[in-house]
Amino acid sequence: MGKASLCPALALAMLVLPKGGATLAADAPTGGPPGTRAFVVSGLFLSGGGDSESNSVQSPGNYDVFLSLLPPAERAELSSPGKRRELQKRMWDQFGFRRMNLWPGDFGGRAEAAKLPPDVKLHQKPTPEQIRAIAALNGFPKDRGSLAYQDQTIAYSSCTNPYDFPVLAKGYVPYEGKISYGMNLDGKVGSQDFTGPDGEKGVDNQLWRAVGSYKQNQEMNDPALQEKVMLSARAPMLIEVSGIDDPRNDPDVTVRVLTGADALVRDGSGKPLARASFTLDPDPSLVNVTHGHIVNGELTTDPVDLHVVFREQIIDNTRIVRGAVIRAKFKSDGSLDGGLFGYTTLSSYYDMIEHMTEDGADNVGISCVAIRLAIDKFADGFRDPRTGRFTAISSAMKFHAVPAFVIDRRAQTASRAEGAQ
Amino acid sequence: MKRRVSRMVLAATAGAAGLSILLSSALPGKPGPAIPQPSVRRLTEAQYRNVIADIFGSGVEVVGRFEPDMRVDGLAAVGSSAVSITASGLEQYDAIARHVVAQVFTPENRARLVGCAPGASDPDGGICAADVIKRIGLRLFRRPLSIGEVRAGVAETLSASDALGNFDDGLGATLVGMLTSPSFLFRIDTPGRSGPPGAIDAYSKATRLSFLLWNTSPDDTLLAAAASGAIDGPEGLRAEVDRMIAAPRFTDGARAFFDDFLQLSDIDHLSKDALIYPAFSTSVAAATREQTLRTITDLLIDHRGDYRDLFTTRRFAMTRALGPIYDIPVSQPGWSIHEFPAGDPRIGLLTQASLLALHAHPGRTSPTLRGKAIRETLLCQKIPSPPANVNFAVVQDVNNPTLKTTRQRLEAHLDDEECASCHKATDGLGLGLEQFDGAGQFRRTEHDIPIDVTGKFDKVPFDGVANLGQLFHDSPKVSECLVSSVWRYANGRNVQAEDQPAIDTLNRGFATNGYRFVDLMRTIALDPTFYAMQRLPAAGAITTARATSSKRNAS
Repeated sequence: MGKASLCPALALAMLVLPKGGATLAADAPTGGPPGTRAFVVSGLFLSGGGDSESNSVQSPGNYDVFLSLLPPAERAELSSPGKRRELQKRMWDQFGFRRMNLWPGDFGGRAEAAKLPPDVKLHQKPTPEQIRAIAALNGFPKDRGSLAYQDQTIAYSSCTNPYDFPVLAKGYVPYEGKISYGMNLDGKVGSQDFTGPDGEKGVDNQLWRAVGSYKQNQEMNDPALQEKVMLSARAPMLIEVSGIDDPRNDPDVTVRVLTGADALVRDGSGKPLARASFTLDPDPSLVNVTHGHIVNGELTTDPVDLHVVFREQIIDNTRIVRGAVIRAKFKSDGSLDGGLFGYTTLSSYYDMIEHMTEDGADNVGISCVAIRLAIDKFADGFRDPRTGRFTAISSAMKFHAVPAFVIDRRAQTASRAEGAQ
Repeated sequence: MKRRVSRMVLAATAGAAGLSILLSSALPGKPGPAIPQPSVRRLTEAQYRNVIADIFGSGVEVVGRFEPDMRVDGLAAVGSSAVSITASGLEQYDAIARHVVAQVFTPENRARLVGCAPGASDPDGGICAADVIKRIGLRLFRRPLSIGEVRAGVAETLSASDALGNFDDGLGATLVGMLTSPSFLFRIDTPGRSGPPGAIDAYSKATRLSFLLWNTSPDDTLLAAAASGAIDGPEGLRAEVDRMIAAPRFTDGARAFFDDFLQLSDIDHLSKDALIYPAFSTSVAAATREQTLRTITDLLIDHRGDYRDLFTTRRFAMTRALGPIYDIPVSQPGWSIHEFPAGDPRIGLLTQASLLALHAHPGRTSPTLRGKAIRETLLCQKIPSPPANVNFAVVQDVNNPTLKTTRQRLEAHLDDEECASCHKATDGLGLGLEQFDGAGQFRRTEHDIPIDVTGKFDKVPFDGVANLGQLFHDSPKVSECLVSSVWRYANGRNVQAEDQPAIDTLNRGFATNGYRFVDLMRTIALDPTFYAMQRLPAAGAITTARATSSKRNAS
């Protein structure tokens, strides 16, 4: 695992205001505060790569796995796309999957209204005790039942409890290629490491080994697609670089990785709107601060633990990337392109898969079970001293970011308070 | 004259399909009799909407397409005296009126707006109809209805109620008729029964005053002052003018003037090439218009500021939608005032995205369009239209490998002497704004070449828009143009030679009072000549403000 150092404690990050202009004045000049450049990330995609041969073998999604388990006659009967719902029902019945809506409304998929204990308040996230009570009240298997689909439903399935259904990992293959996008996070060249597209040895990206054989992830490696698709548009990631004396070469800049509370919107040409203002999410745990340096227009940050929000229609996931490094280039059109490398914690990554539910996993063609087993197997970072097991997996994400402005009300408040004294 | 107007009104009322009113008071160069001429001005779309909201409530929707307003020498207010209503236009007014009236009789509105119904003491609803017709008619026609008009309205209501089998439908038909009447759609002066020859009556005064200061019809207080004759006296008039200027609605009146003066309604039809200016959209365009109006009222109304400071102000109304255009962070969710720091390229009205984007092409800037707009709008000068056979090939070739900047391409275009004469007047000013692209976004270079923003205004050299704004601030032509424009807006016609002394007096007063727009409006509103009918000269010796202004500017 190597260095993967733990940078400033997140609690401390709340209190640290970066040098050089991030304390945004209400009335900034054209171009924004001097010495500061901020960006909104329009897309943040798991990246690996490899040639077409390495990508030729793909792992099946959960319903396809189930289909392959059926006797030939039944498989033939349920294999047509028109029989998908019937196939789903067959699978749910066989494995005893459950999914129930906690609140009135249509949350998609196969769901019915759950009976709720009297102490559960409408649209208030149930406590773990309440979840257990709801599960028991609705006949879930003992000690089973988890929140899913943005905490709108309670479910028991191969996504919530993958180790209950190991058979659904059938047909899974890891990414077998030798080439992968990424970064040598631990400074070593191991037998499991990849070679980067630019020839860099010892690239650590075991998450790609685990999930790189899924078609959706392979497709999202296409730069053209990455430019069009906006991820986490409801809560976009923001990168603010301040204290810049020279935008081409600067030995010390402050970098904040933040989450916006305003939605990302497209401009008239369909691309992310540049130079829009984003108010910060008030959650202080989403303020990540580190330092970095710029060499020939390329920014590299010091490692830091990052909380990165992915908030989509179904997913509301905060990914924790430990020992994360951002390496990105300032481009002449004002944008910032690069990667975010680090050790993604297994729990935060799988939280996203779990929330997808069985139907969501089917939509994107993955097997929750296979992914859970794979990331546990290929995990390579941050060993838990108690269990001796790794808690995180090396990963690489590419991103495209356009210029933006960060509205930091806490900084403004602090600035006003300072002025008043 | 009264008979003439009445005949006209009757004729207009009589034939819906053939309604066509052509009025001459705004047309320059046409000889007329040496008698007082009442002004007849069609309500603009904005005025129509304001009046409906005032009378029936802001929740009542006005849905439909209006006959387009027409600008005469830049002002729709002057054009309002020259426009008619076409047959198809009247159909539109009728459709709009029917939709408005339908809302009057909804369960939530009827009690408030109608308030009565046929009952035991009024079995056929005649009394109720008379009450509604008198009450709403006073607000719609901006004068009390005559006994004959009320009787006719009641008779029509009862007849229609019989035919339609319902009192509300009958009364609604009468209201639709009132909403399509020339007495509503046109502001028609009524000569005063007393007072000096050429004076208008108190209700016509109230109407002129209300549309000048609030851009809507008189409220109950002003109508009461007209009924009592209070506004015929200087004290009563002053009290009403001061009351109206102190009211928040005066801001609406000021906005209406500047919207017309700067021709900001054209922004409604503005579109940009989304690939070249992706940050510009229809909603951004609307926000630029609002920004300019808010910036102006912040300075001139809220702070009672100096009009000339509009050209050097760093206080811009701002909203988040405009942040990407101005390349600034906008922290407030709604509208707020953003103050650009000293040295920032944004300074004054000339650097607002509304004007910069409006006077540019969909995919490139146009120093010519910008220069022409500045000369015509802010300096009241007249720039001739280009001939039809101009070859724009060089100017339009934005990717010309050798002529990389707009200035270079325009200079090549000016090799043609015929073109050069007009471009000399326009391009110099427009080139000073070249650091703002066709969407109003700041840039320092064009095709990597630093943009040259030097030029001359009135033979005085400038370097950049901050310099240019200061020259505008200091130029008497700029303030004089505002004065003549406000006068033309108020009177709905161009300046004639005989009006020039009054304009000169206004100019002196404007300068003496520190170029306060509010004081200028107040002076006009208190001026007896504002309430006099125009006296047309016996011969066609009409000169326009533009002609007068051009003469002065030629020096």
